Amino acid sequence: MPAGEGAGPGALPVASVEELVTALREHAYLADHGLATAIWLALALDKPLLLEGEAGVGKTEVAKVLAELLGRRLVRLQCYEGIDASQALYEWDYSRQLIAVRAAQLGEQGVGDLFGPEFLVERPLLAAVRAGADAVLLIDELDRADDEFEAFLLEVLSEFAVTIPEIGRVDAAHPPAVVITSNRTRELHDALKRRCLFHWIDHPSVEREVEIMRVRAPEVSETLARQVAAAVARLRAMDVAKRPGVAETIDWSKALSFLGAVHLEPETAAATLGALLKDHDDLQLVRGRLDQVLEDL
Amino acid sequence: MSGDGPGAAGTRALERLVGFGRQLRARGLPVGTGRILVFCRAAAALAGGGGLDRDSLYWAGRVTMVARREHLAAYDEAFRAWFPDAKDQMLATVGEWVPKTELPPEIEVVLEEGFQEESWRPPSPEEGGEEALVGVLASNAEVLRTKSFTELTDDELRAAHAVIRSLALELPTRHARRWRPSPYGRRFDQRRTLRASLRTQGEPFRRAWRDRRRKPRPLVLVLDVSGSMSTYSRALMQFGYAAIRAGRQVEVFCFGTRLTRVTRALRVGEPDRAMREVAAKVSDWDGGTRIGASLKELLDRYGQHAFLRGSVLVLCSDGLERGDPELLGVQMARLGRLAHRLVWVNPLKGSPRYQPLARGMTAALPHVDRFLPGHNLASLEALCESLG
Repeated sequence: MPAGEGAGPGALPVASVEELVTALREHAYLADHGLATAIWLALALDKPLLLEGEAGVGKTEVAKVLAELLGRRLVRLQCYEGIDASQALYEWDYSRQLIAVRAAQLGEQGVGDLFGPEFLVERPLLAAVRAGADAVLLIDELDRADDEFEAFLLEVLSEFAVTIPEIGRVDAAHPPAVVITSNRTRELHDALKRRCLFHWIDHPSVEREVEIMRVRAPEVSETLARQVAAAVARLRAMDVAKRPGVAETIDWSKALSFLGAVHLEPETAAATLGALLKDHDDLQLVRGRLDQVLEDL
Repeated sequence: MSGDGPGAAGTRALERLVGFGRQLRARGLPVGTGRILVFCRAAAALAGGGGLDRDSLYWAGRVTMVARREHLAAYDEAFRAWFPDAKDQMLATVGEWVPKTELPPEIEVVLEEGFQEESWRPPSPEEGGEEALVGVLASNAEVLRTKSFTELTDDELRAAHAVIRSLALELPTRHARRWRPSPYGRRFDQRRTLRASLRTQGEPFRRAWRDRRRKPRPLVLVLDVSGSMSTYSRALMQFGYAAIRAGRQVEVFCFGTRLTRVTRALRVGEPDRAMREVAAKVSDWDGGTRIGASLKELLDRYGQHAFLRGSVLVLCSDGLERGDPELLGVQMARLGRLAHRLVWVNPLKGSPRYQPLARGMTAALPHVDRFLPGHNLASLEALCESLG
């Protein structure tokens, strides 16, 4: 891989990791030192950033905030089982092609170039390659795609060039910033990981989660935020099948605050628990031990 | 930065960084030359020509040389050992010698020395353990395969469980909603045919076909854990555990006199831990088996759930019903209508003299698609084959 020609830290709008932390905070994203270092290095070294972590810790958000912060366009490729090149890269608009063919047969107009750019449907990867350094490419939930797609993606990521047989080669003068997220429902290939910087996002500490709530849900009182964060931390340590993410914490604190709660009380907590836990068994488990969760907050 | 190459202090610092990468490798992390290079570049970028604090160096290494969450603890330990001092002289000099974007060729030579990225594979401790178990097993495989689970020693049982977990579970499939191209498909694929016809001036020379995708059916295990049955059920639970880990749709229930869902416990932890949890819940070990009532509970509570309908249901029990055999018959009929295939595993069947004369068994058998022993490895293998 050509080592970040031209880019380097100098070309970045943020000169250091500390500046990046501040800039992210201005965009309402609170990153710890580790995550900020990972993002900064990914930008400085022109490497894709692979983010793993449980659902709801803010992996996807990183790409969105980054696009805002850099003033770039966010190109999102949502992965799913069975995704293939025609959905990720490009596709021909065959109905329009067919109409053009028929029109030509009727002599109304010339066939022209059936495989010209006007019949090309651009999909996220091609869009990102074309936009180059003006884009942040988010490849979301890559673990959901099949192995074959991962191999294909590896090719695109190492070259940042796409060859369309009928048109020619499209390549990025400078590669876009790439953020890949995975919920880790399966292990990604080592070959792909080798090309990326890796960061594991953990659930935030209690203090950080309080801060996040204060930024994301300013209407929630400080005491409530503190109690909610502490309760959620206890809950995550319990044997729940689906541990609540930051998004759920925010939802819960919003729900509590909407009901006028200033402190975390057992009744309102029990009534709003559905904002936090989405699994029936988990709900039953926690309802049964709610006193324990709310004790001495 | 100057292209003069590192001075004496720089060379020492470089050796420290590269040495750290090698140290990680020595501790079993898959760190190749490429990663060490990226690590050096990252350290350089962070130092930006000046010094580097220990925390930043930690993150530079972690982000570039660790690719799995499980390796984080090993990385932390190695980092503490290799860079114990926050006032390390090396840290202050990092930025002085590392050029910002590329390393001078002599450094690449240092890196390449003595190891190759692709051929090197770290021995993983868990894998080693499994292999060792399988090794023990291979020596007396035939004995183990045919001995009943209740006659195995603890070590043999552990080995047997490892084998059960590795059995390839092929479940029957059903049609899924989505389509896929298939040359032998039964439906005409207009879209792809049109697309192909454009290459031939609109003439559809090549016709394309498509077919439904196929998905494996859900597997439901209903295991009798009362009395002597628990050893057999434990073996089948390994099965469920492996299937869950393989990403299959699996539900596991245990019953004695009443029904307990253990899918969750299995998803979170090890099969043995799940078994202990079940043991804690099933307090009435000697209360006998009420198969009919337990199945009724299963059907009443989960009958509407997607996982029962069209599933492959494996029921493991000796069929010695303490409750009303007629109830068992009725519930089996209900289950038979709901499930795609009903398999009854009865370890007693492993004995050549066994005849299904117990009243519960005779009531249930008409609704059962497969009736199998499942008392040892060989018969579990047979079960595995008959599922597909």
